[in-house]
Order: sequence, then C-alpha cells, then structure tokens
Amino acid sequence: MSGSASLGTSQPAAASAPTPLVARARFHWRSWIRKIFTSREGQLFLFLAVLIGVFSGLAVVCFRVAIEWVQFVLLGSSMSPGPLRVVLVPTIAGLFVAVLAIRVFPRTQGSGVNQTKAAVYVSNGYVPFDTVIGKFITCALAIGSGQSLGPEDPSLQMGAGIASAMGRSLKLSQSRIRLIVPVGAAAGLAAAFNAPIAAVLFVIEEVIGTWSAGVLGAIILAAVSSVVTMRWFLGPEPLFRVPPVRIDHPAEFLGFAVLGVAGGAASLLFSKWLQYARPRILALPRWTHYFLPSAAGLAIGVIGIWMPQVMGAGYAVMDQALHAQFTWKLLLVLAVLKIVATGFSFLSGTPGGMFAPTLFIGAMLGGGIGAIEHHFFPSLTVSVGTFALVGMGTMFGGFLRVPITSIFMVIEVSGNYTVALPVMVSSLIAYLISRQYQKIALFDMLTRQNGLILPSVEERREQTAMMVEDAMQLDNVVIVQPDERIADVLARTAQAKQANLLLRAGVGDWRLLDREEIERQMSELASNRTIAEVQSKGPLPLLFPDESLEEALRWVSDWPVIPVVSRSDLGRLAGILTLQGVLRAVQKAAVD
Amino acid sequence: MTEPDSDTPPSTESLSGTASKTENGGHSRERILFAYLVSLAFFFAITAFVARRYHKKVHTLADQWSAKGDSAFQQGDAARALGDYRNALVYSPNNTAFQFHLAQALAAAGHGDEAQSYFLSLLSESPGSGPINLALARIEAGDRATTDAIRYYHDAIYGVWESSPLEMRWQVRRELCEYLLDLGANEEARPELIALGQEVPPRNIAEGKEAGALLLRAQLWAPALDAFRSILESDRHDDDALVGAGKAAFELGRYSEAVQYFNQLPLDKRQSADVSTLLETLESVDTIDPFLPGLSVSEQAEHAAKALDVAGSRLASCAEKRGEALSQTPPVTDAQKLFAARRNAGPDWSRSSLERHPERISAAMSVAFQMEDAALTECGAPQTGADRALMLIAKGHGGANP
Repeated sequence: MSGSASLGTSQPAAASAPTPLVARARFHWRSWIRKIFTSREGQLFLFLAVLIGVFSGLAVVCFRVAIEWVQFVLLGSSMSPGPLRVVLVPTIAGLFVAVLAIRVFPRTQGSGVNQTKAAVYVSNGYVPFDTVIGKFITCALAIGSGQSLGPEDPSLQMGAGIASAMGRSLKLSQSRIRLIVPVGAAAGLAAAFNAPIAAVLFVIEEVIGTWSAGVLGAIILAAVSSVVTMRWFLGPEPLFRVPPVRIDHPAEFLGFAVLGVAGGAASLLFSKWLQYARPRILALPRWTHYFLPSAAGLAIGVIGIWMPQVMGAGYAVMDQALHAQFTWKLLLVLAVLKIVATGFSFLSGTPGGMFAPTLFIGAMLGGGIGAIEHHFFPSLTVSVGTFALVGMGTMFGGFLRVPITSIFMVIEVSGNYTVALPVMVSSLIAYLISRQYQKIALFDMLTRQNGLILPSVEERREQTAMMVEDAMQLDNVVIVQPDERIADVLARTAQAKQANLLLRAGVGDWRLLDREEIERQMSELASNRTIAEVQSKGPLPLLFPDESLEEALRWVSDWPVIPVVSRSDLGRLAGILTLQGVLRAVQKAAVD
Repeated sequence: MTEPDSDTPPSTESLSGTASKTENGGHSRERILFAYLVSLAFFFAITAFVARRYHKKVHTLADQWSAKGDSAFQQGDAARALGDYRNALVYSPNNTAFQFHLAQALAAAGHGDEAQSYFLSLLSESPGSGPINLALARIEAGDRATTDAIRYYHDAIYGVWESSPLEMRWQVRRELCEYLLDLGANEEARPELIALGQEVPPRNIAEGKEAGALLLRAQLWAPALDAFRSILESDRHDDDALVGAGKAAFELGRYSEAVQYFNQLPLDKRQSADVSTLLETLESVDTIDPFLPGLSVSEQAEHAAKALDVAGSRLASCAEKRGEALSQTPPVTDAQKLFAARRNAGPDWSRSSLERHPERISAAMSVAFQMEDAALTECGAPQTGADRALMLIAKGHGGANP
C-alpha cells in the first residue's frame, strides 16, 4: 500500500523523487481515479458492479472447488463410496457444521435468499462479512460431506455480502447500499449457475420485485462479470451436458402437461412438509439443534447406502438423468428420496441452498415421466433427457415460485429455444397448482416462520394497479365553451348547481370555473358578455384514463377537480378526477 | 477484503458520502478502491492457483478411473467397468473417449438403450465416425432393426477411422456380410461379398480366407474359387485355401479340379468329415456320370446302367421305409410310375443295350434323375456318396432339385 500514500491531493512531495515511469503511472492512476470519483455516483455504482461481479465470481470459484475438495477428502472420488463412509461422514461432519453454524457463524443458518431480502428491506443493505466467510466454510463442509443441499443459495448470499461490504467501505449513500446488495446477489447466483440471464431474472423476480431501471444495468454488469470470471477458471461448460432437444409432434405437449401436474403436486408435497415440520423443529430445545445436522446426515447416509445419488448437490446425477441413464422406476425413487433427504438437511438447519435439490427433483421427475411415456407410447419421439430438462424448470417454477426465471433458466442452460414451449406449459401448470393450494410462496413462508414479514414479491406481482379510469367520475361536470354568454351558462347549469364547471379554453387547455364568481360577474357585467371574460383557475393538469392512480394522486391535493381527457383528443373530456372519487375507488377495491 | 466498518448495521442516512474523499480512519475512497484492486489481484492469483490444482486433480482422477474401467473391460467385467467409466465421466464429462468407452461397457453389460443413447449423442457430434456407427449397427442388429443396422454398417464402412482405415472398413464389411448371411439375406449380401472379395488387401491370407469362406456361405462359387486361388498363388500348400477351392470347384461342377485340390491336402485333412464326404461323392461321380468328357461309348453305357441301379436302389429303399409297394398295378404314385417305367424299359436300358444304342442313355438318365428326385421328395437328402453324386449330375443337366 506504500504506493497509495501519495495519492491524496494534499500530500507533500516525497523525500525521494520517483522515477519518470513511476511518476507517469501515478499520474495516470490519479487522473483515472479522479475521473471515476468526480463523475456522478451512478457511474461509480456501475464500476463497483463490475468489481463486485469479479469478486463474487472468484469467491464462487473457490467455493465450488472447496466443496469438491471436501468431497474428495471425505467421501472419496467414487460416485458410490463404501457404506461405512457414506454413513459416518455426513453424521460426523454434521456435528462440526452445527457447532460452526450455531456458535461461530450464527447468521449462516437459513435461506440466503431471505437473508438477502431482509438485508434489503430491514437492515438497509447490511450483510455482515462474517456471513460470507461462514457460508463458505459451513456450506462447503455440509455439501461436500453429502448433505442434500446446493451451493447456489449460499453463493447468492456471499455475493450480496461482498457487495454490502464494498458499498459500506466506500461510504456509498444509504439508498445505494440497499441497491448494491441485489447486485451482489445476482453476481453470486450467476456464477453459481453459470447462467447470467436466469440470475438477473431471479433477483428481479424474487429479491427486488420490480424492474428498476436504476439497478438493472448494475445487476446485469455484475452478473456478466461474475460469469466471465467464473468461466475463466472453471471453463465455459454449462452445469449439465444437455442432449439434443427435438419435438416433432404437438401431441408431445400432453406429456409435458402431465409433467406440469406432477411437478405441481411434488412442489406442494415438498413445501407442505416444510411448512408443517419447520415450526416444530424450530420449537425444539436449543441443545437439540446441535445434533440435528448430524441426525440429518445419518438419515441421508442410510439412504446413501442404497442410493448414493441423493447425496450432495447431485449435478453429476442430473447429468446422467439428462442422458437417459436411469430407468423410470429409479428416476421416480430418486425424486422421492431427494425430497426426503433435502427436507432432512434443510429442516435440520444445515446451511445450504435449495436450488440444486429442486433441479434434481425436477430432473428425476421429468425423466421418470418421459421414460413412462416412452414405455407406453413408443411412437412419441421426445427424449427422456428433454423431459428431465423440462422437469427442472417445472420444479423450479412450482416449488420456488419463480416461473419467468424457470423458463429462461432452462433455455439458458440448454442453449435451445425449442425447449421454451414445453417448459412454459409445464412450469406454468406447476406454478398454478402450487399457488392454488399453497397460498404463501416458499421464501415468504420461511421468513414468516422466522417472525419476519418481508414484502412478498409474488403478492406484489399479483396486485392489480389502479388506474385513473377506476376512480374518475363521468357525471357532475359541465363543459363550458369560452364564447358562451354568462347568462346562458347560468341558465344551462341552473338545475345542477353542485356540478363542476370546466372551461375548454383551447385544445388541451382546461380551466376551472367558480359558479359564485360567474354569478358575481353576472351582476357586475352586462349579461351578454362571454364566459371568457370571467376569471378562472388553471390551466389544469391533464390526466389520461390509463394512467396509474398512484401517479395521479400528487395532483389531486392541489386541484379540487382534474380533467381526464382522451389521449387522441385533448379537447375531449373522458371524466373528472376528484379526491372523493379516488377515496371511493380505493375503498371499493379494498372491499372487492 | 477490506472491512473498515464495524459489524453493526447503519441506522441513519448519515452515510451520504457523495464526496470523493471521506474521512474514515484516514482512508479516502481512492485508497479503499486501490486496496480493493490490489486485493483483487491477490485473490485472482490465489484462485488461479487453487483452480489449477483442482483441474489437475480432476484430470488425474478422470484418467485413473478410466484406466480402471479399461482394465475391468478387458477382463470382461463390464459391470465394474461401467461404474469406473461413470466415475471418470464425472470428472471429465465432455471426454468423448470416456463416453465411447462407457457406451461400449453399457452395451456389453446389456444396457442397450442407454448405450444407444450415448452413441447417438456421440454420433450427433461426429456423424462420420466409423467406430460409433459400427457400435450403433451392432446395437440395432441386436434389436433386430435390420434396416437401421444395415444403414449404420454402411455409414461405418464409409466413415472415418483414425487408425488402419482400410483394414477397419474391410472388417466392418465382413461383419455386415456375416450379419446378412445370418439373416438369410443372401441377395443383399452378394454385392457386399463381391466387394469384400475384391477389397482383400494384397498378400493378406487371413482376410482372403475369411472372404472366401463367406463367399462359399453365400454360394457364390466362382468368386469364392477366385478368392482361394489368389491365396494359393501366395501359398499353394495352404490347407484352408485348398479345402475352400476344392469345395468351390466341386459346386461349380469342376470335379477333376476339385479332386486335384483335395488331393494336395495332407492325409489328415483329407479324412476330415466334410472333405471325405466330398471325395466320396466325387469318386461316385467318376463312376456313374455318363456325361463326363472323354468317355467311350462303352464307359458311358456302363456309367448310365450304374446310375439307374443307384437310383432304383434309392427309390426302393425309400419306398420300403415308407411302407409303399412299388410294384403295385396299376401304378398310382410317382414312385410307382417311375418304377414301372424302369421295369418296362427292362433290357433296353441294360449296359449292353445302351452300349449298342447310346441314343437311349439320355432317356435312361432322365428316369434315373426322376427316381432320385422322387426319393428326395419323399425321404429327404441322400445319405450315400453315390446318391449325392447322382443329384449333382442331375443338377448339372437340369434333371433334379439338389
């Protein structure tokens, strides 16, 4: 850091004169850094996004290597380790994980997605850096020792933690720190999935909940830079080798619809189980929590004696399912056992993510249904691998309730647009079934069980925005032309004395007339004078029927009446908006 | 990672910090950013080191598991090889050689569908690959999907072979020929067999013998004789080639040439079942065929009379076996009618009469052929060399169905 000592603008000259080369380098560094800091904070934010992406990418590379290394050391390099090893390793490692997660890194337990959301909405973007270190160590040990969890969720949280730490150290404004956390989350997830588009969509769909232009660019930059960094070290290969996808006949879509129904049912089963069991587990005496990961490890180890495929994240097994290497019976058994194993791991409080297990269950379920279809309808040509691929998206959409992400994730992972239609059909059916019978989405359910109520992105997504047309009134208004005589206007409105009088002074120029003022003018001026000579308020702001009511509210307090006009003809009145009208509409919507 | 803040969440908007230089224990933004860039370089270097170690380890594991798989496969333990190759592929999933070996092990272990899936996946990446097409052809042949099997065999023949392409293409064609002959598709096999015979590498005796044997199986006698002759040009004492050439010559009706080949064989070979039967038949042909070139009228008459006796005996023994009275009058069955015709001809077809009237030899032989044919229909293939010889003579003159 000695080189940075002279960076300050008011540093005295160094005792020993620098060489011309060093001096030139210093000059360039200083001018470059000044350029960044003297520019708007928005540009600094984008630069930071790239930096966060690179750091997150490096962290994810080390994390993935650490998981693999732990697995080599503890379970060996074979996909089918010996039975004693399979039982003892996750059981003993579970004890270490519990001590680390409870005593050393207490913030590592639970869902990284929810903790990131909590950081955004509760802690002003604060994610302690020890969470990053804790997640790295505990998850590497847990997943590497065979717990049925995945590395994506922790990667997301590590990215968020890195971003938060950088934002805080650079003294960014509070609002920027809140925004930078999702940027880091996207970077972490993108590197873990090797799928930047899906990661960006997931963060928007689940963490932020809105397409904010202010943060979108930074999220994309961070995701891309993290993926590029990750690929630099681990290669460009996707997580799975996807077989060729070909769909010849529209009848094949019936199979995908069946997969959607099965995926919806499996999602429900899984989430209902977690919903039922988690509060009961959390209510157990605290000392028991030290043994829960170990107990889960023992249970998974016992399953692993016969089905070692359910242990760990299971990418290699998913790859095999994509290449139709299992019978339909084995595929369905693996799907069920993975639900059981992942439930044990997650409920025990072992740190780790649900993304990879969800993909695993989906791949097995999809492959199983595809294989059954081949058995009974051999003339259908869609491969079992395609079903497994679509199954991943289906489970993702149904269980994690992120339908858009699930579609793009499958497209991105497969690099094939042919798969888009089946995954849309299947994922949507699973999502609708899951939503119908499980009102609260998984991530929201978990936060509520923890006593937090974070904004539900799904609920927000489903809210229908109120429009001006929902609150505008079509009656109680009289339009007056500027050339009308005062006496005529008074005569015309004699029957509707409460009506609002709007003067159409020109195209798009609407003004508000006061009846009392007209009557006063009538007594002072000659009755044949026109209404243009009467004093009016305006010009009034204009609203359109399809505008958001939220937007319109800022005008309602300033003006008692606001004209709502047609977009194609600013002189044509579609209705008026008043504060009473808005209140009535909001009340009605709440009752509905 | 620089972590200048304490681990408590900020609670106010006091951290406005839009200025480029903010006091924080004496650190400006520039310095913090510089520290980040330095730590990034450091982190990059560490990650590079870790990643390199990881890749090295992964490659080593992949190679180790693959070697184990090769060893198990060579020992015939396809099931163990399967697990080893799968482990190898976990560490090197895009290695097409491992995928190919795994698919081979799958096929050997009876997992045809999985093997096919792997091979098809490999084929989509290298559609012109000879080995992959050959493996698929074998799977399709096992599944009795003849059309696809033939297509893959052809693709393998015209495909790319990295080592010894001519040799491999010839072997694939040989396998295709065997497959077609096993199916009984001799017509489809013929062009392949002819090409096979023509493509035998010069001085390659083993392949020449294989081609000749297949040509014999397909009853392509002339090309088979050519194939064996070309071997004999290189080694005129090759036993297999002599037997093959003798059989081909025999079937072509070149009996003296056939005897010549057989006589060159060592005694033990001549006494082997197939050769001795043929020799016995050939000797009978020599004694009963009146149409052999260079025979005197007397010899022709003698041969014809013997042929009539052989056919008569065969017909009588067949009738006896079936409990049929050949002398029944009036004759009803074909055998009885032929017997009656022979009896009625009586002295006209005696040796002396035929010698005096050689123009009757053809008519006598025609009845002999018909009798042999009738016996063949009723009692099956002949057992003695003389009967077989008579059938051969009939075949040469269009008189009976061999």
